[in-house]
Amino acid sequence: MESYLDVLSVLILLSSFILMANKRIKSYIKTFKIQSAMIAIVAGIMGINSVYKEGNFDILVVCAVIIAVKVIYIPRLLNKTYANVEYKVEKDFFLNIPILIIGCCFIVVFTYFSISTTKGINMGIINMRVVNSISLILIGLFFMISRKKAIGQIVGFLSIENGIFITAMFATEGMPFIVDMGIFVDLLSAVMIMGIMVFRINEKFDSIDINKLKNLRG
Amino acid sequence: MIDFRYFIIQLFVIIMVAPLVNGIINKVKAFTQKRKGAPLLQMYFDLWKLLKKTSVVSDVSSWIFKVTPYIVFSTAVVAAMLVPTTTLIAPVGYAGDVILLVYILALGRFFMMLAALDTGSTFGGMGASREAMISSLIEPSILISLFTVGLIAKSTSAYQIMNFMKGVGFPLIHPVYIMAFIALFTIIIAETSRTPVDDPATHLELTMVHEAMVLEYSGRKLALMELGAAVKQLVFITLLVNIFIPNDQLIHIIGISAVVISLLIYLIKVIIVSIIIAVVEVSTVKLRLFSIPNLAALAFILSFIGFLQYFVFGR
Repeated sequence: MESYLDVLSVLILLSSFILMANKRIKSYIKTFKIQSAMIAIVAGIMGINSVYKEGNFDILVVCAVIIAVKVIYIPRLLNKTYANVEYKVEKDFFLNIPILIIGCCFIVVFTYFSISTTKGINMGIINMRVVNSISLILIGLFFMISRKKAIGQIVGFLSIENGIFITAMFATEGMPFIVDMGIFVDLLSAVMIMGIMVFRINEKFDSIDINKLKNLRG
Repeated sequence: MIDFRYFIIQLFVIIMVAPLVNGIINKVKAFTQKRKGAPLLQMYFDLWKLLKKTSVVSDVSSWIFKVTPYIVFSTAVVAAMLVPTTTLIAPVGYAGDVILLVYILALGRFFMMLAALDTGSTFGGMGASREAMISSLIEPSILISLFTVGLIAKSTSAYQIMNFMKGVGFPLIHPVYIMAFIALFTIIIAETSRTPVDDPATHLELTMVHEAMVLEYSGRKLALMELGAAVKQLVFITLLVNIFIPNDQLIHIIGISAVVISLLIYLIKVIIVSIIIAVVEVSTVKLRLFSIPNLAALAFILSFIGFLQYFVFGR
């Protein structure tokens, strides 16, 4: 069971590399869906463990909410938003993809380095799953700043959120139930507001390129 | 001292099975398009027919054009000698490892590019330059992923690595091996000119890479080139399945029957991997030539992170 979790954490990291290598908005959404599904599997495995050990159903409920919200609802919402946007030029990154991917590689190395130098009770101990999930957060951030279009940035934000959730899962074996639920409600409302924003940007400027927002300056 | 049993089994299995892999891939592709497709043994018939025909050689070409099919085929077969299909018979007397394997195949590819340039046709030059680009992009990741596995097994010989892997159990649930596995799988698709990198089914001048280089060949020489490419593909698949999905630890009997059972399991693994390759091929579209660095970069950092994980965590 433990080595399955290791492999899943590695595969989640791999999915964030693939997210970085994608060029089209549809494939961002698809990769995000796969990443969330893998996170749901991790939550499911941990939930079954905690049911056996402590009789605690919290994490299984969280797993069901992840499947409902992140695997089904948010990708559908993003697809609908993207279908409503008229201006569809696909290429939207600042650097070329090989440089971005090698940047991801440096992020992973940096995470190993910074985790190994933390002070405290776990000094010198490197937990592979925590390293992979913190890399996921940083790669999500990198994804967000490397994309020009608003939908790409929403996917980057969601990827950061996935990273934060999976870090909490791996580091603490599940956070308090109310915290997780609160985060999901926040996330859902944030994504809906951002979807409406994308639509409004498109209406005003005939484009979802955020560089056009500078036109507002007088 | 050469172990003749190893020599015979290796030569026989690799050369006889290699065209079958192409047959399976084409059959699966045909099924997904609701066609019946060519028979499973079509490539054997093609090769047999081509071997009976004479080959036409352009009179402006030099000796390189004539010797290249033999070099391509013999390098592929020598590479096949370095990758055991079954680990039950030890390759006594073969000094060679995975690094030699990579560069022997690179020698064959080098002569293939020279021959493509030799006839002076535009397609040949175009195919050669594309092949040079792809192979130089792919080479670092193949070496690093094989080095990672070799470091863990403390040997670079393919036979020693496979022997070591028998003790690991099921390597694919280990984080280091799964990185190397995915990297090597990506590399196989690029090396054997399968769809995301090259389209083996078309002869369209905009997309072809491997076909552009063998365009000038005919008859017996074309048969040797095609068989050499098929053998190269099977060598990589053998490396993949025998390193990452070891099966010989399950066989407790010894003797001839053990070897036969081991080869049968090997054949099943090869068929499964060919079906997976075919599924990947139908479910992806061909990349633009300038998007291939993206795939190569992905394969490279996968193997590199596997390497990093091995160094940080040990095995």
